[in-house]
Amino acid sequence: MRTVDIVERIEGEAKLVCTWDDKIITNAQIEFLNFRGFEYILEKKAPLDALIYTPRICGICGQAHLKATVEVLENIYKNLNYEIELTNKAKLLREIGLNIEIIDSHIKWFYMFIMPDITALSSKDFSSYKPLKGEKWLKSSFITSEIIKSLAIIGGQWPHTSYMVPGGVVSDPTLLDLTTMKNYLDSAINFFEDDFAGVCIDDYLSFSKAEDLDKIGKDLKDFIDLCFEHGFDKIGKSYNRHLVLSSTELFKVGKSNKRVINRVDLERIEESCEYTFNIDKNKQSKEAYTWAKNVRYADNFFETGPLSRAVISKRAFISKLHEKFEDSVLTRVMARMDEFVHLLYITKNLISKIDISEESFVKPKISLNEIKNAEAKSVVEASRGSLFHDISIKDGKISKYNVITPTVWNLGPGNKSEPSVAQKAIIGLDSIEKAEITLRSFDICSVCTTH
Amino acid sequence: MADSHDMVKKVFTTNSARVETNKGDAYYDSLFEKAKLRLKALKKQRPLKDIDMMDIVESEGVNRRDFMKWASATTATLMLPPMFTPLVAEATELMNRVPVVWIELQDCAGNSEALLRSSAPTVDDLIFDVLSLEFHETIMAASGHQADAQLEDAIEHFKGKYLLFVEGAIPTAMNGQYGTIGASGETFQEHLERLSKDAAAVVAVGTCATFGGIPAAAPNPTGAVGVMNIVKGKPVINIPACPANPANMVGVVLHYVLTGQIPELDSLLRPKFAFGYRIHDNCERRAHFDAGEFVEEWGDHGAQNNFCLYKVGCKGPMTFNNCSIIRYNEGANWPVGVGRGCIGCSEPDFWDKYAYERPMADANIKAPTGGVEKTVDQFGLGLLTATTIGIGVHAVTSAMVGKKTVHTKDGEE
Ligand code: SF4
Ligand code: SF4
Repeated sequence: MRTVDIVERIEGEAKLVCTWDDKIITNAQIEFLNFRGFEYILEKKAPLDALIYTPRICGICGQAHLKATVEVLENIYKNLNYEIELTNKAKLLREIGLNIEIIDSHIKWFYMFIMPDITALSSKDFSSYKPLKGEKWLKSSFITSEIIKSLAIIGGQWPHTSYMVPGGVVSDPTLLDLTTMKNYLDSAINFFEDDFAGVCIDDYLSFSKAEDLDKIGKDLKDFIDLCFEHGFDKIGKSYNRHLVLSSTELFKVGKSNKRVINRVDLERIEESCEYTFNIDKNKQSKEAYTWAKNVRYADNFFETGPLSRAVISKRAFISKLHEKFEDSVLTRVMARMDEFVHLLYITKNLISKIDISEESFVKPKISLNEIKNAEAKSVVEASRGSLFHDISIKDGKISKYNVITPTVWNLGPGNKSEPSVAQKAIIGLDSIEKAEITLRSFDICSVCTTH
Repeated sequence: MADSHDMVKKVFTTNSARVETNKGDAYYDSLFEKAKLRLKALKKQRPLKDIDMMDIVESEGVNRRDFMKWASATTATLMLPPMFTPLVAEATELMNRVPVVWIELQDCAGNSEALLRSSAPTVDDLIFDVLSLEFHETIMAASGHQADAQLEDAIEHFKGKYLLFVEGAIPTAMNGQYGTIGASGETFQEHLERLSKDAAAVVAVGTCATFGGIPAAAPNPTGAVGVMNIVKGKPVINIPACPANPANMVGVVLHYVLTGQIPELDSLLRPKFAFGYRIHDNCERRAHFDAGEFVEEWGDHGAQNNFCLYKVGCKGPMTFNNCSIIRYNEGANWPVGVGRGCIGCSEPDFWDKYAYERPMADANIKAPTGGVEKTVDQFGLGLLTATTIGIGVHAVTSAMVGKKTVHTKDGEE
């Protein structure tokens, strides 16, 4: 038997095609059928123009693309041995911007994407989570629009800001701006304490045992209870191999395949297209059914995203949950939620570290338009996982631009011998609802997957 | 919040800063009577949603006075005289009589995001509670087949009455196979044609839906086009920008509720109330432009003092839009505010023509023309060049690599 389901309430849509044998899913195809062709569009453009294009790959993680682009351009300079000076202030403003975007995305994802599905499984009254109407839904929409204003202060607007340029950032916030930003983050902390988890942030951050789950209240408790009630602590398990490509104040680079190793070699990343459509029909394989590609590290599928980041940097609470519940839906969602709390705390501190008397921008010595021949790569942690940009410049123009997005790591079509990370997590399940929620636990993004 | 409404109103009602749209008392008197009748008729209709606007406004802690302040600012934004304020307030309360269906095609969801981020007095509520959003794939409750059914229900039930909001471009190459939707694999083009057939009007939101946007940038691999290239025989309203400003989305709906008509459009089908003047006309850095004070490079003395961004590539003088007034994220900020310059995102082909780093004087761009308003029609590059020549266009161009020849007053290249 085959079933075709449409997964909406993501960015764009995905099709989930399951093959069943005796009420068990034996194969899961995830199809992404929307394509725009950014990598083709970027060819022959002036390198700086990429700063305007790539954030538009995704309306939700545009910051991450902006940061990856600005860094890939700076790496071009580095690879040619031109020194690029970056003040601490510029570095801080970039990381702060990215963190705010992740915080915003995680909160929204919980209320807009996960809760409507999981509460639908229950016969209890969860109308306060009802999209567009429920009081909890509206509250979360209010708080995310407050949080994102703190990014608009340095970014000019959100979505699609372009305040980072090679050499720094264009913005020069005043002390008042910084205080305003902190105020917005404080209101998010209040939201966390009063509405989301019902624990004070300091207590939460000291959680270190799986049993600390019991101390959580409010909306997150609703999720946890529903999870146990429907067995999501036991399903959604995949390879349990994790990869993080870049480090920040909160995240560490590394991979884990049973043990954690804090070293990653970008040369070992490989993309392939066995099941992927091609714009050139002649190059397309007969079995193509999606615009998503496959990506593997050292010939293996790895998961990326908040769970991987928590595992690699050994964050206490999630590490314990991971020991107990492995890479289940429960752990994956908890890791995402844990991440936004840590980011709230860290980002506030980062704002305090800004020295406004420092420069925001130091002009690079030569223009990218003068560069004859060069290549570079960059990596950034985006809300959904590791993002990788790879550029070649020839005679002052982009000659090739390759983007590997976080969701491609998790949601590719798999290859002949092995299913992709999300496919593996779905195969073996016995209901379509469980399959969809498992798929959702990876925070699917159709537009960034296919770009 | 109330302060920013005051600010908006002030800018829109100051003579120097706005386009002259006064159509004379006779016109407004007749429109006023028409709107009154329209609202009366709407009031008799059963609300699609049983929600009272004022209850919501009050339950959110916004009092009647603040609400009226918002209405008066919105009236100004719509370029209507103050006597319309009570009608605008009433129309807001009647927004639940007009069904809205929102679809996403070749997009990045940036406009949906922008809409979610909006909350003029409590526009979160205005939009989500009062406005009858009958279908929105990303944020509604239903998903999967249930969502499909909900969409079909909505278009059947509200035949001829709903406003169809479209976000994203339409791929036409390879028989539309670059974008398909739903279990049947309908192409985006077929989907749009089918849903627009029974719509009262189609509103294209964001530059992708209006002019093809980023997917249509060279070499346009998927053959992307905007809604107006596909939808024929229906009113189409374009609200470009990347992302489009939610204030303008609300404005279009309000105008429709108020008058039963679509707002007056320019030749690119953009509502004049929002796109009738340039960013440059109301820019907070304009005084520096006029004084010849420019940011020469980011981070310099000029940047620290909020000088004009023309020389680092600001396209404000060529860009018709109201974000210098409305700003983004509830007025928190906008690109020029942060020192980046406008990128011309509400103009057709802005990706290819306007680009990021090319200062305008060096880019071969023509002003968009059309509409009947002076500023829109009579504006040309000549006007701008005349202003800037004296303040050193050569300084801009000589800094460029691969520069074109630009003759300036002192004959330098
Ligand atoms: S116009 Fe801009 S915001 Fe809108 S869908 Fe296109 S890229 Fe995204
Ligand atoms: S050129 Fe740009 S920054 Fe300068 S006044 Fe005009 S819109 Fe403002």
